[in-house]
Amino acid sequence: MKILAIETTGKYGSVSVIDEEGHVWSAESREEMNHLRGIISLIDEALASAGISKSELTHIAASIGPGSFTGIRIGVTTARTMAQILGIPCIAVSSIRALAEEALSKAISSDARFVVPIINARRHQTYGAIYEAEFTSDHEHQSISVISEERQYMIEELLDKIGSDVAFFTGDGIDAYGDIIKDKLIEGCYSFADEDVRYQSSVSVAKIALQKAKRGDVIGYEELLPEYMRLAEAEQRLKAGTLSDKIKKPY
Amino acid sequence: MKNGQFLTLGIETSCDETAASVVADGRVVMSNIISSQIDIHTAYGGVVPEIASRRHLERINDVIERALKEADIEVKDIDLIGVTYGPGLVGALLIGVAAAKAMAYAADIPLIGVNHMHGHIAANYLEHHDLEPPFMALVVSGGHTEIVNVPAYNSCEKLGGTRDDAAGEAFDKVARVIGLGYPGGPKIDKAAKEGDPEAVQFKRVYLEPGSLDFSFSGLKTQALNYLNSERQAGREINVNDVAASFQEAVVEVIANKAVDAAKRYDQKRIVMAGGVASNSRLRALISAAASAAGIEVLKPSPVLCTDNGAMIASAAYYAYKSGERTDYELDAVPGLEF
Repeated sequence: MKILAIETTGKYGSVSVIDEEGHVWSAESREEMNHLRGIISLIDEALASAGISKSELTHIAASIGPGSFTGIRIGVTTARTMAQILGIPCIAVSSIRALAEEALSKAISSDARFVVPIINARRHQTYGAIYEAEFTSDHEHQSISVISEERQYMIEELLDKIGSDVAFFTGDGIDAYGDIIKDKLIEGCYSFADEDVRYQSSVSVAKIALQKAKRGDVIGYEELLPEYMRLAEAEQRLKAGTLSDKIKKPY
Repeated sequence: MKNGQFLTLGIETSCDETAASVVADGRVVMSNIISSQIDIHTAYGGVVPEIASRRHLERINDVIERALKEADIEVKDIDLIGVTYGPGLVGALLIGVAAAKAMAYAADIPLIGVNHMHGHIAANYLEHHDLEPPFMALVVSGGHTEIVNVPAYNSCEKLGGTRDDAAGEAFDKVARVIGLGYPGGPKIDKAAKEGDPEAVQFKRVYLEPGSLDFSFSGLKTQALNYLNSERQAGREINVNDVAASFQEAVVEVIANKAVDAAKRYDQKRIVMAGGVASNSRLRALISAAASAAGIEVLKPSPVLCTDNGAMIASAAYYAYKSGERTDYELDAVPGLEF
């Protein structure tokens, strides 16, 4: 089993290869929002460091969002097309769930009950979830369960759900809403992921993809679709009956 | 290669058509799949970029699959992938570019990024198999009104263009004003056939003498003023007459300038391209003006005038044959110049 995992829903794109034993090889962009330009060279770099050719790949996984709409589309389109051409299945990974995966061991070591990934969706909104961190006595098999499902929240609404429990936050929502969190929660009841593990990364996408592949939770390329968690603005307006006539065909 | 033919896959997603096509030897259309989103965007009165991007993603792989199937070829038979990288809507373009790059990389096929406007001109190579440069090109679409000298394959020299609205934009705006709705071009073309082109006096805007540029932004105001004055005078408005008169003012100027450009550059052929090249009155007028000057006018059939993958494949083929190569860093360039 050799899975290629693509993550382009955040600021920096990254690509990993993971094998059956969980060994991971990665390549990461150092340029912000360079997803479309850089995606193929990241894939090539990750494959080279894993020492395998693309024909040896068994699955293509992609982070399907939520996150940057444009970024999601680049990663998902690339994954779909590679899977289509190579004739191999896809694995869909939630960007929120992948952030939680990355934060899990840090959360446990900081004695947090909840792992709370938050992705900035602007105007006090966030894409997020609340997970409960669990670990077995040998500390080897950590797992998490869902307390509040992945969806769009107002940051205040999400904080209300946490209440006075100890929470470990991760994701770029910290950059946007850190002050609100400090304001609303009790000192000592929250901690933030360090910047080097705070943002979306293909490493955790690859780890979740491996779990899913082992469970047989795979899909055809045509079923790999984005999870925007939000309608297009014009669709919202059409539903609300407030569509303006500014929109026009430019080409 | 299959049966000794060089096969190019062309991918086009610059606006609201998800399209892919297989073209043999740069000239012969083996398949031409166009999945239009017009039904979706009509509810919004025009193309909504975010919605267009979402639909392109959902459709692109199936459209590619169908293009291969209809051409009766497999991925390994493809010698070249051509893809539109601009101009257009950035979110729409990047779906085609991402898919083309992933396919080129996964199957080790050379890649060429194509300028959408060069593609429109290349549509004529598919229609007229003996056509070779040099010629004068007239590109008229929703976003473009340009006169382009084409001295050689992949060489485009823009001589004039619109200073404000494109011809297609003017059609859309006036169609909205007189209640014909979206899309304006075909609706005005149809209504005009029942109207009198001399019923209303619209200005012919030629700009300064010798200019090959265009300006159509004043026509909407003229149409509005006409409608208002007629209403105030209590006269009934004949929509067909307004459509015919407006259309005449636009296409007359375009036809005359295109023929003037061909004469000045001593070109014996004018090649039409773009969605508005389907306009029946423009086709008639330019043919009349050109034949009087001993100039031949070539037009692609309507299906090749709309956005399609075949024209992108043809343009990619000639770029490739001239030694051009595109690497995997290819990005979408929404404001790409000619």
